[in-house]
Amino acid sequence: MMELNIWFYSGCLLAILGSLGTVLGPKVNDPIVRTLNTEVAAIGVSLILLTYNHTLAVLTFMTTSVITSLLLLRVITRLEEMGADT
Amino acid sequence: MAIELVPQFVPDIFLSWYAPAVYTGFIVAFIGLMGIAIAKKDIHILILTDIVGLSMLVVVGATGTDLAEALILPGLVVELAEIMAISEILVSREMRKNNGSSSLLPLPIVSDMEIMTTAPNFLSLVLIGYGVFLTGFTGGAVAGAGILLYIFSKKSRGLPVLVIDGIGAVSGLAWCLWIVGFLLFFIAPEYWLLSLFMAACGLLLKVASKLGLIGTLMREEYKRE
Repeated sequence: MMELNIWFYSGCLLAILGSLGTVLGPKVNDPIVRTLNTEVAAIGVSLILLTYNHTLAVLTFMTTSVITSLLLLRVITRLEEMGADT
Repeated sequence: MAIELVPQFVPDIFLSWYAPAVYTGFIVAFIGLMGIAIAKKDIHILILTDIVGLSMLVVVGATGTDLAEALILPGLVVELAEIMAISEILVSREMRKNNGSSSLLPLPIVSDMEIMTTAPNFLSLVLIGYGVFLTGFTGGAVAGAGILLYIFSKKSRGLPVLVIDGIGAVSGLAWCLWIVGFLLFFIAPEYWLLSLFMAACGLLLKVASKLGLIGTLMREEYKRE
């Protein structure tokens, strides 16, 4: 039998570690590194939603997290293009 | 008392996960808000808002029933819209401050494919037809993608104000349709099929017209010359 607790608690752990990494991780003064670190927390959240059987929520969350990181990378690139200090 | 509130069909394992999930959500929210408090640049605050949104998802998801799923979808859409709006505000503020300009899509991709000039009529027709057939949220997204494709590939510039206002009015009317359909569920449950279709078609029109409106506004803003 599949041990569901493993997936759930590793999801919780990944969410906490990912958000810690986003706030305090190495080289987070670069906004691109910070954006990529949020993906770790997003993986944790999708593991949690997966163990709860929220199928639609997982699918929509994956789509929106991809769109969100694309948006953030776009705004970072545009700001750097204009020479703003990011 | 607290146990009686939980429906019978929620598995025991979900109940045992409730406290850890809620604590995880609160810890993640605390970390994200501390990060926002110590961050100085606006763009970093925008990125950390994403983390706070994730904690909201965990707390809502801890409910463990279909209610969680119904609440997560609007939360995701609202979070996406918020990040979109704030990023646009940041860019336009920086434009005004430095008098600079930046490209709409800063990617090394050229988007003048042949399909953008020859096929958009047919493709958007297929997308809108399939979206209307699907109805509801998904159908609205598909139909809206069709409208977006049409607006972006056809060089229809300088749309009259009446068209933009009209799209907004359709969106508002669709919202009313959705609310009336939802209300009918509770007032007259025997007309459930009617109210289901009212809600589904209202949501379809709503999402599709919103996506179309985004496309219209982006075209108006960036392709003025």
